[in-house]
Amino acid sequence: MLREELMVINDLGIHARPAQHIVKLAAKHQAELWLEKDGNRINGKSIMGVLLLAAECGAPVTVETEGADEQALMDGLRELFAAGFHELKQG
Amino acid sequence: MESLHIGEFVEQEANELQLRSLTGEAGYGREIRQKNLHRPGLALAGYLDLFTYDRVQILGNTEISFLESIGDKKTRASLEAMLSYDIPCFVVTNSNPVPDPLLELAKEKDIAVLSSSLGTTEFTHLLSDFLDEFFAPTSQMHGTLVDVYGTGLLLTGKSGIGKSEVALDLVERGHRLVADDVVTVTRKADNVLIGRGNKTLLHLMEIRGLGIIDVKEIFGVHSIRMQKRIEMVVELRLWKDRDNFERTGLEKETKDILGIDVPHVQLPIFPGKNITVICETLALNLHLQVYGYDAAEEFNRRLLQNMQDKQRLRSYLRRDNE
Repeated sequence: MLREELMVINDLGIHARPAQHIVKLAAKHQAELWLEKDGNRINGKSIMGVLLLAAECGAPVTVETEGADEQALMDGLRELFAAGFHELKQG
Repeated sequence: MESLHIGEFVEQEANELQLRSLTGEAGYGREIRQKNLHRPGLALAGYLDLFTYDRVQILGNTEISFLESIGDKKTRASLEAMLSYDIPCFVVTNSNPVPDPLLELAKEKDIAVLSSSLGTTEFTHLLSDFLDEFFAPTSQMHGTLVDVYGTGLLLTGKSGIGKSEVALDLVERGHRLVADDVVTVTRKADNVLIGRGNKTLLHLMEIRGLGIIDVKEIFGVHSIRMQKRIEMVVELRLWKDRDNFERTGLEKETKDILGIDVPHVQLPIFPGKNITVICETLALNLHLQVYGYDAAEEFNRRLLQNMQDKQRLRSYLRRDNE
């Protein structure tokens, strides 16, 4: 099992589109995904769960992956969070 | 390109448009190639630049009384110039008397002169409707069209995936079948697609394992309808783990049919999934969207507001060093 804290850095936080990026990435992997914030722990493959986190800009999210390809999933998520879910303003 | 022979046109529309030919079968081999009409007032007066000769030429009261006023000699001269163009046919409305030179020259040039007892305005309306319909872009699609709560859903997907079975289920729940297997789609106006079934197939349907059934006879006349606007394409697809199916409903996919973008939904199917209920929900959700409510957008708006508030609070507290 891998566990890491990732920061939300895009202005709007994890709204519907970023949430969709997360669950779609998770759906491509065998590994289980759990996201945790403010004591809420939700399944990362469920879009409603991810949305309920309401993770705003600047908030840390604890990410847990477990399963055969847990490393690949964690790497992908780290990249996705670092890219601000492809929503960072240019320049 | 589509075209309509004058002979067929007169035969088909004789009743509807009160049409008859004044020149026998002369010009019956010519074709109408476009839906627009023309009243050739200026052409009769001798101005032939920009003369839209390839349209049906309508001679109303004004044109006929103009020709009468200039006399046979001038009429002949102006018609000779005009008839050197490749005109599909003339129609004289109001059963007006036709000047002799027109009949003679038209016969000579093999152009039909038709007469209608309808008034010009009514005639042009009816003829426009008829030609619009005739020249409307049409194509055949493989799929099943069902009217669900008044919304036209076109079910598509590979052969054998269960389109007909879903349609049957929908019909059983009180919705109406428009066409199964082969849907003829016609573009009306700029943004409306009308689907209808094949005349010989009517509301017959093949259900695998059962054979051919007649939906109208089994479920009654309220279970069918002749045509329906296509408002959404629902594509049934086998579920594969790695496929990307829409998860929020925020990204609106569309499918191009005859140049019109129709909302397109891809539905993964697997055992235990009730596609019928999902189709009903899709139809109702589309209704809501038409009336201005989009659940996905609304939820996202609330979520964004919520996160913005939290962020404001966070940055306020950060500077709070009391």
